[in-house]
Amino acid sequence: MGPLIPQGIIPMGWDFVIALLIGIAFGFVLEASGFSSSRNITGVFYGYNFVVLRVFFTAVVVAMIGLQYFDYFGWIDLNQIYVLPTFLSPMIVGAIIMGVGFVLGGFCPGTSYTAIAIGKIDAMVFTGGLFLGIFLFSEFFPFFEQFYYSGNMGSITIGEFFGISNNLVTLIFVVIAVVAFYITWRIELRVRKNMIQYKF
Amino acid sequence: MNKNYIILMGILILLAAGLLVLPLKNNSKQLDPEVLMWDIVQPTRYVSTDEVAKMIIEHDPLLMMVDVRSAEDFQLFSLTNAINFPLDSLALDDARSALTFNKRNLVFYSNDDLKSDQAWVIAKRLGLKNIYVLKGGLNRWIQTIIQPEAPAETASEAEFNLYAFRQGASQYFTGGSISIDKSPQAEVVVSRKKKAKAAEGGC
Repeated sequence: MGPLIPQGIIPMGWDFVIALLIGIAFGFVLEASGFSSSRNITGVFYGYNFVVLRVFFTAVVVAMIGLQYFDYFGWIDLNQIYVLPTFLSPMIVGAIIMGVGFVLGGFCPGTSYTAIAIGKIDAMVFTGGLFLGIFLFSEFFPFFEQFYYSGNMGSITIGEFFGISNNLVTLIFVVIAVVAFYITWRIELRVRKNMIQYKF
Repeated sequence: MNKNYIILMGILILLAAGLLVLPLKNNSKQLDPEVLMWDIVQPTRYVSTDEVAKMIIEHDPLLMMVDVRSAEDFQLFSLTNAINFPLDSLALDDARSALTFNKRNLVFYSNDDLKSDQAWVIAKRLGLKNIYVLKGGLNRWIQTIIQPEAPAETASEAEFNLYAFRQGASQYFTGGSISIDKSPQAEVVVSRKKKAKAAEGGC
């Protein structure tokens, strides 16, 4: 059945509308998870708050397991999902730049908008810098264009690269996630004296 | 740690482990042979050289010509704005991703129909849509567009119109001049009236 747009079940013209709705939902969940607070977000770098790691890791493993089962039941055709091509070294450099910006500014691009939505001034300054960065990147793009496109590995997945099934990759990721949840919980217990354990 | 979290983590691991016992599914969906057969015999998958020439001249934004000949041949001669994906590279990732996410009308061409027909079948199997084959390929292109033959004198008006179009197209694509045959015309004889002389004298 799925993916809905490539299969023509939802016409192409709707993709921006759907993107908008998903964006609103994403922003809402980010805010609800406390991601509009720089203290929450950057705590992962200082080792006292690992909510970022937990939220994103949970999202990743839930999506991974869900997609694999959806594929198995024939609800979605994973072969038709667009896999972003991997440019290894430019991606590593980009990740480092992103991380430095993250810890310096206290937001990542998405969370800065959720923080603006609740009226945080530092987030507004952050987004100003974000646009300045985009502008400078675009202006100086010809200088590093060659590096930008270097090391193209194509649309490769971890399973394809290591020659193992995607299901096994999913299991490995889930185990890593659970171990990470446990370790970070232990660290937080030790570091934070006044930790509130959320109940649900 | 909260008991609920432990339960949730247990469910996660259980679900992920469950994936391992699922039988591996062959995800490569094959096109139904009957569907392929039906599409192959459709004449609508061909476009004529005249149609393509018209689209190129009119800068049709949806048209994308795909040259499936070798890169050397492509260097020697190609159609306007065509891209080159040699037949043997068509199923490779680069060509595949370039063509798959293209929403334009792909028209395959080669020297004749042979390679472009093969390319069409490959593209069809790759799941591409809006794909066509240039009927007769470049040979037909040269015959009809670059060096069009004049129709017989008894031909219909439509044929003469087509010929006129092809002549224009030929000029467009080659940049050459076309010879306009001068039909014998009766010479216009301009007869001038003798100017009446101004009256001289008289009564």
